[in-house]
This record gives sequence, structure tokens and C-alpha cells, in this order.
Amino acid sequence: MPRISPVTGHYVTVDVDDVQYKVFYLENGTGQPLVCQHTAGCHNHQWRGLLEDEEITSNHRVIAYDLPRHGKSDPPENEEWWKEEYRLTADHYTKFIVALCDELDLEQPIFMGSSFGGNVALQLALRYPDRFRAVIPVEGADYSPGFYLDWWQHPHANAAQVCASGVWDLMAPQSPEADRWKTWFYYTQGSEAFKGDLYFYSVDHDLRGKLDQIDGDRCPVVMLTGSYDYLTTPEDGRRTASKIKNAEFIEMENIGHFPMSENHELFRRYLLEALDTIGSRAATAQA
Amino acid sequence: MTATADAPTVPVEEWVRSFTDASDNDPEIQAHGKYFTCTYLLDMTDHHFVVRMVSGRVAELAVDPGPLDVGYQFLIRAGVDTWRGFGTAIPPPMFHGIWAATFRRDMKLEGDVLVLMQNLRCITRQIELLRSVGVPV
Repeated sequence: MPRISPVTGHYVTVDVDDVQYKVFYLENGTGQPLVCQHTAGCHNHQWRGLLEDEEITSNHRVIAYDLPRHGKSDPPENEEWWKEEYRLTADHYTKFIVALCDELDLEQPIFMGSSFGGNVALQLALRYPDRFRAVIPVEGADYSPGFYLDWWQHPHANAAQVCASGVWDLMAPQSPEADRWKTWFYYTQGSEAFKGDLYFYSVDHDLRGKLDQIDGDRCPVVMLTGSYDYLTTPEDGRRTASKIKNAEFIEMENIGHFPMSENHELFRRYLLEALDTIGSRAATAQA
Repeated sequence: MTATADAPTVPVEEWVRSFTDASDNDPEIQAHGKYFTCTYLLDMTDHHFVVRMVSGRVAELAVDPGPLDVGYQFLIRAGVDTWRGFGTAIPPPMFHGIWAATFRRDMKLEGDVLVLMQNLRCITRQIELLRSVGVPV
């Protein structure tokens, strides 16, 4: 028997403002849609463990897409994108995610993202609370300065290795070495997009003073942060969640900033707790 | 936070030997260090060292050199407590790498940081060797 994974890949065309993208996504499972965003400068293979996690795919349709300019999703189809510097904004990023969910005809998906995906999860809860059953910001915070650096694209250094080894410390030493190296390898592939992604992460994303505008009853927010994350620490996650109405915060021990990619076996325990919390909220809301 | 009150301090001469051996025999550095050629200062407060790397091998490791004795291109500086955290088998959070300790502790990366970035993969690995070698402070 050929050892073929149940995970399948597809392309879908998505229009956002005047920009057209051809977006690649991986999916597996049936039931509640769970839309997954990779970290900055990376791609959807970070979710490889989740995509084949039968306990979760038995009742969730897990969809892990490549953001345009990442992995197999090309830059814009209808723009001379090479003539301007890529700088991702919260406005375009959130519109893209909603447009993708619309194009796939997803009803009340749960959105989960890590790092700049965690930050955009907070932006979605603020801007489109009625479009998502819940959001799970992983390694997110209200504000995450300090990573919009020229080093990611410095022409006198090997950008692939600077990006990959520059994020190495974001992973926990306890995480399996092979999974950390896979994550490192993914990061050698995305240096051109990494810096532009980090414009959103460290500059345009700033929800300080706005967290009280997120209604965690309309769109439940369950935040997960690893203890080895030096960019958005557990303290940052806890502080952020404490300022959002009815948000939950779960600290993940012995894991870092790429939990789903560096150690899915540990991450899944916390994710199941988050999904249980969201399920309980939905049951309470219906009662 | 105190990293590791019980971490033993390695005598300086022994540390120089074991760090050099660990680096020169490390499969990763030897596989990828063909162009790992640079000189940097490791400032551990109680001691400082200038490590001169040539093609992935430790060509010289100067112990507590005088102010102008040995040149270097960049430096990695931190207090004793931070380095002691680096010198444990499984470092606690924020003691687990030069980026983490620079963002969240007292570590400083100074000098020609471009040279550090050009050699980032091998430097990262070399500093991780402290987890097995320990630290001399």
C-alpha cells in the first residue's frame, strides 16, 4: 500500500481590495473549520503535526494556508509587486483572511495563528468579531516591537541563515531536535517575506489601549504562550488577555514561539484545552 | 531570577581546553564551518576571552587579554548569572540563546555585528556548546 497522507493541497483564487492572489492551502478533517496561519517568513508546513492529528481532524476541518508571498502562494497576480517594498499591514492582512474564508465558504471558522498570526488573531477579534466562532492567538500580544530589523535582508550576510538562526532561540531546548531543525529549514526559505511580515508584527500591529474594544463574548479569545518565547513572553500574553473581556490565557511550559512546529506533541495538549474552552463557551451561549 | 545556583564553575584552563575540543570536534560546526573565520570577545565579567576562529577551527583562545593585546570584531557580553544559565544542560527561559538573553536579560552584542550575522549559524551552535562544557565563571 502506498503511504499517502490524508492531507490534501489545493489552490484558490482570492481577491482582496484590488489585489488578486492564488493561495495554496493544505487541509484534512471534517467538522468545525479551524483555519491556521503560520508564523512570519514561514509556511504552512509548521502545522504538519496538526494536519495529521486524528483526534483533532475527526471533528475539525483543519485548513493551513500559505499567506501570499510564502510557501506555494505567489505574490500578487495582477501587480508589479517587485517595484515596491513589501510591508504587510493589519488592514490588508485581516481583509485577506476574511476574503479567504469567504472564498472557501467557511461558516464561523475558528482562527488560530502563531506569532504574527497570533497578533492578527487579536486584530480579527477586534475588527470582525461576528465572522469567527473564536480565535486562538498563539504567541501573540497587544504589541511586539523590536523585530523589524534590516539584518533579515542585509546584502552582506547570508539572509537565509540569518533568518533561520536568528529565530533559533525562539524555540525551547526541550523541543525535539529534528522538529527544531525542520523549523530552521523552513526559515531558510522565506527571508524575502520575513522583514515585510515583521512590519506588521512589530510596527503596524499596536493594540495598546484598544484591547477593551475586543468583546470576548462575541468572539471568544483563548491565548496560548510558550515559556521560552522571548519576543512575546507569557507575561505579555497574560497582560494582553487580562485586558480583553472574558479572554482566557494558558501558559505553555517548556515550549517556545513555534509550538506547533517545534513540538506538536506537547502543543496539542494545550490546544485541546483551548478547543474545550471554546466548546464550553459555545454550549453556554446556546443554553 | 537566578539561573542555576548549583552549576559548578569550570576552572579556566580546563574550560579553554574543553571548549576548544568541543568546537573542533562538533559535527555541525565542522560540517558547516568552512568559512567560519572571525574573532570575537566573550565577556563573562569575571573573565573574558578572545576566540579566533579560522575555517571552523579554534586557532587561538586568549584568556583575559590586556586592553589592547588582542583585536576582535564583535563582542558578546553578559553578567556572571546570565552565563551560568547558558552553562546548564537545559537552560531556563531567556538563558537559552544570545538573542533571548539580549532581548530579555543583560546580554549585549556590540562591535561589528555584521560579522556576527555572517557567522550566525556557527556562533549560535558554538555558544550552545556551553550547555555541555559549562562556563568558567
